[in-house]
Amino acid sequence: MAAVAAPMASRPRASKSESFVDNKRKEDIRSANINAGRAVADAVRTSLGPKGMDKMISTASGEVIITNDGATILNKMDVLQPAAKMMVELSKSQDSAAGDGTTTVVVLAGALLRVCQVLLGAGIHPTVISDALHKSCGKSVDILTAMAVPVELTDRDSLVKSASTSLNSKVVSQYSTLLAPLAVDAVLSVIDPEKPEIVDLRDIKIVKKLGGTVDDTHTVKGLVFDKKVSHAAGGPTRMENAKIAVIQFQISPPKTDIEQSIVVSDYTQMDRILKEERNYILGMIKKIKATGCNVLLIQKSILRDAVTDLSLHYLAKAKIMVIKDVERDEIEFVTKTLNCLPIANIEHFRAEKLGFAELVEEASLGDGKILKITGIKDMGRTTSVLVRGSNQLVLDEAERSLHDALCVVRCLVSKRFLIAGGGAPEIELSRQLGAWAKVLHGMEGYCVKSFAEALEVIPYTLAENAGLNPIAIVTELRNKHAQGEINSGINVRKGQITNILEENVVQPLLVSTSAITLATECVRMILKIDDIVTVR
Amino acid sequence: MPIDKIFKDDANEEKGERARMASFIGAMAVADLVKSTLGPKGMDKILQSTGRGHSVTVTNDGATILKSLHIDNPAAKVLVDISKVQDDEVGDGTTSVVVLAGELLREAEKLVTSKIHPMTIIAGYRMAAECARDALLKRVMDNKEDAEKFRSDLMKIAMTTLCSKILSQDKEHFAEMAVDAVFRLKGSTNLEAIQIIKKPGGSLRDSFLDEGFILDKKIGIGQPKRIENAKILVANTAMDTDKVKIYGARVRVDSMTKVAEIEGAEKEKMKDKVNKILAHGINCFVNRQLIYNFPEELFADAGVLAIEHADFEGIERLGLVTGGEIASTFDNPESVKLGHCKLIEEIMIGEDKLIHFSGVAMGQACSIVLRGASHHVLDEAERSLHDALCVLSQTVNDSRVLLGGGWPEMVMAKEVDELARKTAGKKSHAIEAFSRALVAIPTTIADNAGLDSAELVAQLRAEHHNQGCNAGIDVISGAVGDMEERGIYEAFKVKQAVLLSATEAAEMILRVDEIITCAPRRREDRM
Repeated sequence: MAAVAAPMASRPRASKSESFVDNKRKEDIRSANINAGRAVADAVRTSLGPKGMDKMISTASGEVIITNDGATILNKMDVLQPAAKMMVELSKSQDSAAGDGTTTVVVLAGALLRVCQVLLGAGIHPTVISDALHKSCGKSVDILTAMAVPVELTDRDSLVKSASTSLNSKVVSQYSTLLAPLAVDAVLSVIDPEKPEIVDLRDIKIVKKLGGTVDDTHTVKGLVFDKKVSHAAGGPTRMENAKIAVIQFQISPPKTDIEQSIVVSDYTQMDRILKEERNYILGMIKKIKATGCNVLLIQKSILRDAVTDLSLHYLAKAKIMVIKDVERDEIEFVTKTLNCLPIANIEHFRAEKLGFAELVEEASLGDGKILKITGIKDMGRTTSVLVRGSNQLVLDEAERSLHDALCVVRCLVSKRFLIAGGGAPEIELSRQLGAWAKVLHGMEGYCVKSFAEALEVIPYTLAENAGLNPIAIVTELRNKHAQGEINSGINVRKGQITNILEENVVQPLLVSTSAITLATECVRMILKIDDIVTVR
Repeated sequence: MPIDKIFKDDANEEKGERARMASFIGAMAVADLVKSTLGPKGMDKILQSTGRGHSVTVTNDGATILKSLHIDNPAAKVLVDISKVQDDEVGDGTTSVVVLAGELLREAEKLVTSKIHPMTIIAGYRMAAECARDALLKRVMDNKEDAEKFRSDLMKIAMTTLCSKILSQDKEHFAEMAVDAVFRLKGSTNLEAIQIIKKPGGSLRDSFLDEGFILDKKIGIGQPKRIENAKILVANTAMDTDKVKIYGARVRVDSMTKVAEIEGAEKEKMKDKVNKILAHGINCFVNRQLIYNFPEELFADAGVLAIEHADFEGIERLGLVTGGEIASTFDNPESVKLGHCKLIEEIMIGEDKLIHFSGVAMGQACSIVLRGASHHVLDEAERSLHDALCVLSQTVNDSRVLLGGGWPEMVMAKEVDELARKTAGKKSHAIEAFSRALVAIPTTIADNAGLDSAELVAQLRAEHHNQGCNAGIDVISGAVGDMEERGIYEAFKVKQAVLLSATEAAEMILRVDEIITCAPRRREDRM
């Protein structure tokens, strides 16, 4: 039935009310959109896979970023064309849905767009293509799910394997043996036994500190602040058996919300005021000291100074360690970790609101200092990771890579299936969809067959980026899969086809399924557009 | 001699033929613009904003496209307006109304060139519209009595509305959701009680209907995350500090202690306020404005759940659904109406934490959580769902339904054609033209689907020659089919509104014979 539609569409229209059909423009816009989308995909194509290359981005502000992460590259690219923008959005969505596979999803969408262009050229109506895409997408998810291997959270090895697959394509790949287990442990430690499906990555704090090498990256059981202890008045920098208070008020001379001024008429009065100020602060510090508190975390304040030199001096005398300028957003994380309550007023400063830790110390690292709080009593389900790197670029990339790895582990927690990597799922999809296309009727079958071929772009690009002969590799891969070895994939290190599961190249099912669903959704949207209207 | 200075310098006027031409062309251009979005296989448009950020919207909704256009042509503006009105009144058919009006004008243009007076055309159009409406009335179906059938009618209407939108692949899922939501309203058309929350991530299929209310906010630190039998006070009050709102107000003191005292007094005042609020016997406090750390801590100490910074819409709706009133003074606890709900808890959707109020007083309220790949998808999904909800809530009140897929247009065209034959005089040309304009809708639907419209419409016309036929264009199979079997239904109210407002708009534009452009107001010269 749909087959009848195409030749008719190409025939000149005979509608009597339409004297002139401006279809040229619509075709132009569609192909402009498709070309823009493909251009974006081509830009990130070379960064796919373990031997993918990095991109250097120099931003408008002169900052330089080196990254392999598709989402970051696209995010920094200043695209204007609406369809290109949609591709950028696509990689963002993949980033938030799965965290990894941000390059894959764009490359996939680009490949699909290419075949759509061919199909459109053959005179197939865009909605027919779009429907066929939707169908093959549903089918693909089924095929992928059938291929997947269930994984248990107790199976730490598998988790580490999938995390290292994600890390292998990054700058920090040589450290994957270190970072992968680190990511796995970090995620597993924040899982709430009551809600085992949900991982809130906000419970994992990544602190970057320049200096050392990526090798020095480690998790800290407790809290890490990229801050110094206030030294101004020579207060303590190391505290054992710390009683920690998180305060949201300021230890400085009072300031009212209503505008105020103190009228000073003579010298003695000034003296008195100074004394009063001193007494006021002393009074506060005495109250603090009375509860036995010896470490203060002070929230950053915009209204007035959180601490003054004077109060620091007194606090130092009282042997209270002060860490100031804790961001307001961090307060929740800090209180959750320390298992304490924030204190917003001096009157409410009570011992039961304090948190306890065995050791709070300032440690010198590289060119700066950090603060570590360890041995926290009744610690909340949070983890801090201290990332080190020899320069800012490596450091940033290491953080992004670690984030990807964390996301991969999170995917596995929410959907506990693993699938082979190395292009194996894509080639298998391509094979099965191709077979399925033969039983479909009409135009749909033709479209599905083309999509099946488009999926080969992933193994093709993997091979190409690794400097292998893509055609030879993909053909052999196809051959292997036809013989039923569904886990054969490209082993980039050895430069040949092997059973990829044995090589420990695995990725979460969620990454693959979300890449394919998101890519098709985006392509379908681009296909359906026939006009760009400029509006206010 | 000609009086050449009636108008100011920049003002100009166009007369007679020229003016009519200008308005015809403008209106037809607008109609042609949205024409390709009509029907289940209609295409989408990208709206690219020229403003800051160059934000991009992808949409299929006629009203949204027209609303955002830069339009200078006065006649085109009339069409934009009728589509806006259609959107407000019935929610759907925003494209159809513009396309129909455009076609009516296209036909009128031909008549005008063959020297028929616009007033005659208008008279003919009026008669035709009346006749078309009667034809529809004769064929409406009403299943109000039979609850089950009525529900299935609604489902079909929702699916028909949704099938032209981005939600078409999951239309059953969404139709189900929309019908459930509308049934909860129990006949009221207050769509505000249905809240749509958009959360990127997941796919459209993961969207769900939630009984209760969801607020996209966080609960304060150290406060209970779950409250049963909540008593809610919804407020719009400053919980930072009560300031004297007179410019330059200040206090003068002569010592530090006094400053401390004032600060203490301010704190005390805040504490009083909190205590007053607590005196209402509440365990949940929702404020539109910020809540500072200090009162937040006080609330935490009292075991009250305090939500800050709930946006204006959020609290109004919350007030509505929980049955509470928005309070801003707290001196008379008796006079303030508190909201109630059975359970407040924190839930997670995607990556975000939201606050969920269930068992709310007004059982009508519900929230629809939309999930989708990107913001574009979500925004478009929201617009589509909103259309469906509008149509459904209108249909609940006026339960008459019609078949879809170009069926009503063919029915009307047939009756109008017969009227033309019976009418004597020049008017009959106009009536005939009206019927041609009606047929343009099925023609466009077929064209958009890439089908041979001339062939299909001719077939359809032949089918309709038989009395009581249900034939319409089945876009999926690309042939003429029985609309009742395919389950393609539309609300009578939508069709009627399309018919009447399109006719009125066309009539109004036809009447124009002079366009006067006023001189633009001069900007102040920046010398």
